[in-house]
Amino acid sequence: MKSHLAGTLSRQSRVLLILLPFVAAFAALCIGRYSFISPAQFLASAKEFILGLKPQDGNTYTVLWSIRFPRILTALLVGAGLSAAGCAFQGLFSNPLATPDTLGVASGASFGAVLGLLFGFDLIGVQLLAILMGFAAIVLTYVTGAGREFRMNTVVLAGIMIGSLFNALVSLVKYVADAESQLPAITYWLMGSLASTGYRSLAMCAPVIIVGLIILFALRWRLNLLPLTEDEARATGTNIMALRLVTAVCAAAITAACISLCGQVGWVGLLIPHICRMKYGNNNMSIIPASISLGAVFMVVVDTAARTLSAAEIPVSILTAIIGAPFFIALMRKSGGWRL
Amino acid sequence: MSVNNGVFSYEKNGRIILNEINFSTKEGEIMAILGPNGAGKTTLLRCMMGFLKWNSGTSKLDDTDIRSIPARELWKHVAYVPQARQASSAYSVQETVMLGRGSHFGLLAQPSEKDIKKVNEVMERLHIAHLADKRCSEISGGELQMVLIARALASEPQILILDEPESNLDFRNQLLVLNTMSELAVEGMSCIFNTHFPSHALQRAAKSLLFCGDGKTLFGDTNEIVTEENIEKAFGVKAVIGEIETPETVLHDVLPIKLADLNESAEEKGSNDKRLAVVAIITGSYESGEKINRLMHEYARCIVGRMGMPYHQNGVYIINVILDGAEKDIQTLSHKLSILPGVSVKTTYAKKDSSEQGGALTFEQYI
Repeated sequence: MKSHLAGTLSRQSRVLLILLPFVAAFAALCIGRYSFISPAQFLASAKEFILGLKPQDGNTYTVLWSIRFPRILTALLVGAGLSAAGCAFQGLFSNPLATPDTLGVASGASFGAVLGLLFGFDLIGVQLLAILMGFAAIVLTYVTGAGREFRMNTVVLAGIMIGSLFNALVSLVKYVADAESQLPAITYWLMGSLASTGYRSLAMCAPVIIVGLIILFALRWRLNLLPLTEDEARATGTNIMALRLVTAVCAAAITAACISLCGQVGWVGLLIPHICRMKYGNNNMSIIPASISLGAVFMVVVDTAARTLSAAEIPVSILTAIIGAPFFIALMRKSGGWRL
Repeated sequence: MSVNNGVFSYEKNGRIILNEINFSTKEGEIMAILGPNGAGKTTLLRCMMGFLKWNSGTSKLDDTDIRSIPARELWKHVAYVPQARQASSAYSVQETVMLGRGSHFGLLAQPSEKDIKKVNEVMERLHIAHLADKRCSEISGGELQMVLIARALASEPQILILDEPESNLDFRNQLLVLNTMSELAVEGMSCIFNTHFPSHALQRAAKSLLFCGDGKTLFGDTNEIVTEENIEKAFGVKAVIGEIETPETVLHDVLPIKLADLNESAEEKGSNDKRLAVVAIITGSYESGEKINRLMHEYARCIVGRMGMPYHQNGVYIINVILDGAEKDIQTLSHKLSILPGVSVKTTYAKKDSSEQGGALTFEQYI
């Protein structure tokens, strides 16, 4: 009789999933349009950075630690966050097509950001407004969707409505924006980019993402109860309403923080969880950690491609779809489709 | 578990679905809830477990109102097996069974070695261990029902509540599910199940609750509740209850004959007459033996004599009991014996007029 629980990660997978993001981040630090930085140069510079020494090669130091490092940290967090949030939403709505945007959070955050850009706020102001509007979207969805009796489908429907409301508001902002200066900025921001990230914006959004991720990770077994019917779930002795609320708030907060950091990055929240489901099954004990790890890796790879492939940056959401879609389709055909 | 004066309607002052429900079960007892479609069987289960709120009345577990028991504690004692068609099929069999352990470890904890061991034990016991890695969408309906029972058993409950566990199953799987319930009951678990089949109540359940229109119910020993008159009242169907003799035992079965004519009144059956009877019992199982002794004790008032002997050669125990008492009591006792697993029972009644003819048998109390 095996004492192993089916659907959990093997030791080998665990080691791989922990190492991969580090390997990806290290590779991404070395690669870039400024120049390729050799591992030896990297180590020397890393020593200076950690010990706070005066850098010998000032340019390499600046490129590595002021430009690439915060950007890669952001990519790791955003990838991990969006993937885990997607995973949680799919369980929450027992719907394989649910994405971080299902509750209207992404649309709300986008509206906040473009509004900030319209008013000419600085980066931090834009991000703050994005997070606030993201949360406003959840609250609105909850208030409209949770009527006399709380039903998941009603909430999803409310989320779609609130989402389209905010999308209309985004269009309105674009319409009234100055076509010379503001509109390009807004359009570019909506396509998603990690170019403008730095330690300051990270300091505001990273804690939200990290706390959300820790909670989802800690609850990973309980998340398995989400697709059960109300009665079945209650019969396991879990307060299912509280579990749903915590999951929704965590996933929505992560999404709002990610979008305020780097604009609308589509696909990740759908793509990565499903890749994990094909590989590891539907047990959240394995797909939450796997999504966090692979999401981070995927985002770092895509962002590295975005900043190195051409002299002008390619918006991330274009690349996530161009790299992601064919990869996803190939995997889907090979594994015989996904099931949830 | 017991329910006292349970009244329920979905809307305030709306149609009363459940009216003055009263019942209680003891440990090791199977109770059947019978009634036509839409009578409120599932609603009763949901009210009983606290998923729906009684308008008035209470459900009690060991004399404590279940509303005052914390969820984690309550669901360690009670387990629920939903109808198989509602089940989510995304997980593997082992993962699904593990979901039943939820009340045994903390909110943020993950299943431990012990939990995995328990889950594997339960799967082994219900003969589904070979399906452990299969997805629930890939197994048959009968197997899925066993998986859901396993999930409930994984929480090591004292009371198992099943919603139509044998609906939509073929004969073999019906028997598998019913046998599992009988075995669990003999081990001391209470089972409460909803069913569309009065035969299953007759063959398995000690107690039955029958919905007979307007949310009213009858509750009592199965052989007093599941009668031809009551079935006609509840289902609007004329039925006969027959005995089918097999080489091993006598089975009770309910056969629907025709739709009832509502104007015709059902005739009363006098079952308080005194009868003399011999009950012959053969049992091979130790647990059932214990239960038989307890039943004998309970019905000591009508037992005139008993004889028991172990027959080691076949590993069985043979008991003959001579009963003199109300026909109702004799029927109830032989019914309760017949629903124990691994027990063969046959009851032979003395002819009713034997004393009048002044035959060889004369008993003072036999009138």
